[in-house]
Amino acid sequence: MASVTRLADQAPRAGAAAPALVVDDIVKRFETPDGVVTAVDHISFDVAPGEFLAVIGPSGCGKSTLFNVIGGLMDGYEGRVAVAGETVKGPHAAIGMVFQEESTFPWRTVIENVAFPLEITGVAKAERIERARHFVDLVGLTGFERRYPAELSGGMRQRVAIARTLASEPKILLMDEPFGALDEQTRLLLGDKVLQIQDQLKQTCLLITHNITEAVQLADRVLVMTYRPGQVKRIVPIELTRPRSSEIVSSDAFGRYVAQIWGDLREEASRGMRDDEKNRGGKP
Amino acid sequence: MTARALDRWLPPILGFGTLVVCVLIVEVLIRLNVVNRFIVPMPSQIAGAFERVILDEDIPHRFLVTMRESLWATALLALFGIGIGVLLYRVQLLRDATETWVAAMASAPTVLMYPLFLVIFGRSEKTIIMMGFVAGLPAVILKTIEGLAGTRRVLINVGRSFKLTEIQLFVKILFPAALPTIFVGLRLGMIFALINIVGVEFLINFGGLGQLINDLAERYDLPGTYAAICFVILVSVVFFFLTDRVEKWLRPVA
Amino acid sequence: MAETGRLSAPATQPFASPVTLVRVAIIVGILATWEAVAASGLLFQDVVPSLKVIGLAVVELLADPTYYFNLGVTAGEIGLAMLIGGLAGLVVGILLGSNRLLSRAFESYLYYLGPTPKIIFFPIMIMWFGVGPGSKVAMGVLSCFFPVALSAAAGMRTIDTVLIRVGRSFRASTWQMVTKIYLPAMRLPILNGVRLGLGVAIIGTLLAETKLSNKGVGFLIINAYSTFNMPRMYALLIVLFVLSIGVNALIGRLGGVGTIKR
Repeated sequence: MASVTRLADQAPRAGAAAPALVVDDIVKRFETPDGVVTAVDHISFDVAPGEFLAVIGPSGCGKSTLFNVIGGLMDGYEGRVAVAGETVKGPHAAIGMVFQEESTFPWRTVIENVAFPLEITGVAKAERIERARHFVDLVGLTGFERRYPAELSGGMRQRVAIARTLASEPKILLMDEPFGALDEQTRLLLGDKVLQIQDQLKQTCLLITHNITEAVQLADRVLVMTYRPGQVKRIVPIELTRPRSSEIVSSDAFGRYVAQIWGDLREEASRGMRDDEKNRGGKP
Repeated sequence: MTARALDRWLPPILGFGTLVVCVLIVEVLIRLNVVNRFIVPMPSQIAGAFERVILDEDIPHRFLVTMRESLWATALLALFGIGIGVLLYRVQLLRDATETWVAAMASAPTVLMYPLFLVIFGRSEKTIIMMGFVAGLPAVILKTIEGLAGTRRVLINVGRSFKLTEIQLFVKILFPAALPTIFVGLRLGMIFALINIVGVEFLINFGGLGQLINDLAERYDLPGTYAAICFVILVSVVFFFLTDRVEKWLRPVA
Repeated sequence: MAETGRLSAPATQPFASPVTLVRVAIIVGILATWEAVAASGLLFQDVVPSLKVIGLAVVELLADPTYYFNLGVTAGEIGLAMLIGGLAGLVVGILLGSNRLLSRAFESYLYYLGPTPKIIFFPIMIMWFGVGPGSKVAMGVLSCFFPVALSAAAGMRTIDTVLIRVGRSFRASTWQMVTKIYLPAMRLPILNGVRLGLGVAIIGTLLAETKLSNKGVGFLIINAYSTFNMPRMYALLIVLFVLSIGVNALIGRLGGVGTIKR
């Protein structure tokens, strides 16, 4: 059975500065026609400044609920989320969100998309185009500033979405399976890109994913969630050298981490499958 | 001829060719007195009437009159149609209460109210413009609502994640996202408006192109009447075609 | 607008839902404004008659046998127009929809000629069919032909090709193919086309009646106009709208289609 680790019980890491993100004892329940469902059950963890934390779990474990709670898009939960000391009560300027689905604005060019957060905060046109260009370069889309999203591939559009969120210079980059719709090779290469960016900006990142390879490739620590009700099953520190590149996926140490995490995950994933089969079989 | 060239050109040739053949058959039948030439003028006569009608009956001016009426109707449609559509979208209760009414209005024979409008506005352009406006209104309202309501959830979430105010959310995300659909509605509205405008011009014998047809018919100028009808159909088709192009041009960005 | 994922618990129904209340409020508001304008004499007295006067006119109308005679004439014209135009539209539509060459050759003519003002053809119809009901029926046919044909053609193309192959594999005759496979498979598009066709047929026929006729509902309306009998005109329009919206809704129910989609 999964162990519930409360924030207070987690062993403090040596030399830890004040955490960038604190997730404290989050509980989120939903009322459904079949009764009350607990999506997130007492989850606590923190993310240090500049750290990359990956949250991994089987489908239906409450990852997306957690994403929406932390991002401030969902309320009606117990517990507290704090970023840089401030409690989160709604979308917070210090949290930048990258969504799973296609989220670029089809009617704006790449540069206009990326400049969007600057436009909102009232930055003058010339300056925001200049600043946006910096982030367009950062994600490797130099030369595509004037193109429309419809002219780009799926992977490029996700890069635009990431650049747009980065342009708001958030303290925390919160991503919900941003590479879910992409093929494996594109995923690995984009993963490289993300690593580069994170290294350059010293960006704190929280990535929600179901892909073990991605989690181990990108993260400093991997938090494994249980199947619903979602709890923290285990936190695995990934001690692979930084800076990393996608070549690391072929190393022995990488393979061991993946195996270890899969061992934890498999149990939860099969519970999920059994639940699924029961639900489908039980209904006429 | 290669198979591909045949495939590409045969249909249009077949279509247009059939038309030409039919016209020729009619011409022959009339000349042979099988068809009464006082009921169906010879196509050659109709063709001859074109120039006469365009010059003598001052078609350019009449065309402008009809266009002016249409533009007014379009302006009203844009203002009130989109405005009401936005209002209904924002106030859910109003929308739930009235949306089916608007849909019902779309299928109702509103143009039959023209005698009523004649009494209220008199035999003037106002009547014509208002009839066009009323005819096109439901389409604009419904499509505006549809466009706004159909905005993808994730785009709204992006706006929320950037802490947009309600107004910013509407102006910078909802409305641009809905624009292609809103234009579809506006185009539909304009088409209905034009049809009704020309129709009412004909019925009340006032205005531009529609009135011309009525006039020529009452003068028993058969070739002229046929020619004028052809001209109006042409205008209608061109208008439909052009707005179709604009709609397609807006689409790829969506 | 935060998501809480909670479904609204089914509460015990109040005596009227908010939507009904809003609707009633709107209707009452409109009627009250009307009555106020009528009473104030703002517009020329008879243009906005009081509700009572209009109500009386409606009652009078519904009790008037000549009204039913004229309604019958109009209904007959529309019915015949739908029959002729509908059948022609179906035949042409099925033909175009089943044959790619024919479709590419001719369908765009239908598509572009559809949204045009048909009433302008009325003088020609009068020449060909006389001043009686014939020309009105012709207007109706001309109006409803296009939506039916285009819907049928489009509907043909949506039929799952495997169904067509099943029919052919059983060596069904053309008539059998049409009645046993095409038409049943195309129920919905055809019904929609008929609905649209009926709408424009009503309009086309009635407009023709207002222009030149001595019978029919359209004639009654224009007659009321020329005798400046405003209450009668309102009554006629009200009844007309109720009837046409009702018929439209009825057909919609028939096809199980609740809303009007374009």
